Amino acid sequence: MKSPLAVGVVGAGGIAGPHTAAWRALGADITIYSIDGNAPALAERVGGRAVDSLDELIDAGEIIDVCTPTPVHHEIVQAAVTAGRHVVCEKPLARTHEQGAAIVEAAEAAGVQLYPGQVVRFFPEYAAAKAAVDAGRVGTPATLRFSRRGAAPQMPWFHDVEASGGILVDQMIHDMDFARWIAGDVVRVFARVTGGEGAPTTAYAVLTHENGALSHVTGGWSHPNTVFRTTFSVAGSSGLLEYDSLGKAPLDWDVAESGSEGGSLLPAMDFAESPFLTELREFATAFAGGPAPRVSAADGLAALDIGLAALESARTGRAVAPKEIAR
Amino acid sequence: MSESLKIGLLSFAHVHAAGYAMLLQEREDVTLLAADPDQADSAPGEVRGKTLADQLGVSYVDTYDELFAWGPDAVVICSENSRHRELVERAAAAGVHVLCEKPLATSVEDAEAMVAACEQAGVSLMTAYPVRFHPAFRALRERIRAGGLGTVLSASGTNNGQIPIAARRWFADPVLAGGGSLMDHTVHLADLLDDLLDARAVSVYAQSNRIVHPEVDVETGGLVVVTYADGTVATIDCSWNRPASYLTWGGLTLNVEGSAGSVSFDAFGQAVTGYDDTDGKAISVGYGANLDALMVEEFISAVREGRRPQPDGEVGLRTVQIVMAGYESARTGQPVAI
Repeated sequence: MKSPLAVGVVGAGGIAGPHTAAWRALGADITIYSIDGNAPALAERVGGRAVDSLDELIDAGEIIDVCTPTPVHHEIVQAAVTAGRHVVCEKPLARTHEQGAAIVEAAEAAGVQLYPGQVVRFFPEYAAAKAAVDAGRVGTPATLRFSRRGAAPQMPWFHDVEASGGILVDQMIHDMDFARWIAGDVVRVFARVTGGEGAPTTAYAVLTHENGALSHVTGGWSHPNTVFRTTFSVAGSSGLLEYDSLGKAPLDWDVAESGSEGGSLLPAMDFAESPFLTELREFATAFAGGPAPRVSAADGLAALDIGLAALESARTGRAVAPKEIAR
Repeated sequence: MSESLKIGLLSFAHVHAAGYAMLLQEREDVTLLAADPDQADSAPGEVRGKTLADQLGVSYVDTYDELFAWGPDAVVICSENSRHRELVERAAAAGVHVLCEKPLATSVEDAEAMVAACEQAGVSLMTAYPVRFHPAFRALRERIRAGGLGTVLSASGTNNGQIPIAARRWFADPVLAGGGSLMDHTVHLADLLDDLLDARAVSVYAQSNRIVHPEVDVETGGLVVVTYADGTVATIDCSWNRPASYLTWGGLTLNVEGSAGSVSFDAFGQAVTGYDDTDGKAISVGYGANLDALMVEEFISAVREGRRPQPDGEVGLRTVQIVMAGYESARTGQPVAI
């Protein structure tokens, strides 16, 4: 592998910001291509270079990082792996199972590595919970609860179920993946979506894991002032783990003058490494021949299948098995 | 009706019986008499019958015959879930008003028969849902009813606790309890939602498991999704999944999402927490209104005023319908219509 790391980032929207910041922290040589016209500005901010075509980007990068909206993930990943590039693809891996399965196969056939941006596995609080469960701290996980709520995304494609799968596939896939990581494969999904069309969207999914464990997943896309919050609990045969992002922060300022120095609650994450940096370092290490990362392309596809099963459940009112989606 | 209301306490099977006994005993407007004849199913070490009555300082008779012969105005029924029906029917036949422990029954058929028996006898049937009387829930209900959340779209609640078999083994007896956590812990939230929402439940999806305390014969974990006629969706986590080292028996929470915002209710949120080396664990000292006392007050005043107490037998029945649909759904893996 060349030094420095040559990374081509596709897309210059919301997720490209933290990704490019992490690549810069890893000392990467960053090239950016985007059809929204924002590539030059982002390139200037992160010290990278904007290019005018996907071909040019793939030529320039050894690693392609797909940060585009969901509906074009598969075609960009396909082009990158066909050109022999290792690929990081934002979650969800693709919009449909067929697209996801095709790019996983294409990467294998091309002998390159493909990793999904299931970044929650890299958030320190979630990683700590996973480590505690693996260490046997709760016994066998039995009933798990996850919630994730924030301001509704601005870009319309997030809300277009045809394009993104909506909240179940775009947002709740984070917790579906994490639930599967902790409690194992999922055999049945029941989901309901409420609100939307101007009102806050709240969605619920009940996952039944292969070993009988149950996960309750809540997703919320709410008003613009919503404080982003995630919570989880893992109750097992001999213990219980609980987390709330609105819990204790390591620093909590209360100063008379408002300003950038204080006033708002700083989330604990600000004093830990960026999970995007942890994630992309782990992927880059694997690309360079190091150990396999904590998430695989197959994991990304399995998480997608859970999300798609949830979407099908919400559409039909029935409980749906992820394997029906994969059929 | 005499100056002092004569109330019979039927059975000490339920863990709440002693609490109700003390509340009723303290009241100057109530004369209390208890009977607890069916103790054959209690586990060794469970304090029941005359022994418990003496500890509580409550007058006691050995049989229900003696208790009904005493001529009670009303009874509080704390028998095992599956034995509610026979006692409610007996009370109705005697023209006696009833406060019955939850869940009202272990089948829809039993619950319907109990409601019908009380209706025909012209006596009140109240279901023991004390959380309804929480001042914070009342405030939540009032503000939501006044449009404070816009249109209610969805809700999610948890009623998670330790498995309640340490004090009373029958809670995990498939016949006497009618099931496990799904039977025990779905109904409180189903009742709050019944009180909060205008629409009735039309469909129930539920899944259950037995990973925590696999040694018992009933489910200990469960998730329930209820869909109401107007499209409102509510999820209920009924799991007995608090570890033995948890600082209390458990708790109850309800989050309600509306078009104009959301609200979160924690029924046991009023507590001072700490640590006690003599117990070797974290402790929680609750404060605030005594919900059982408020519920008993509603029952007694309704009996005195000759009006129907709330929550009534009908909501007891509707919540049993949700539970039974939940069991059917857990069996089939698909939602079940009510």
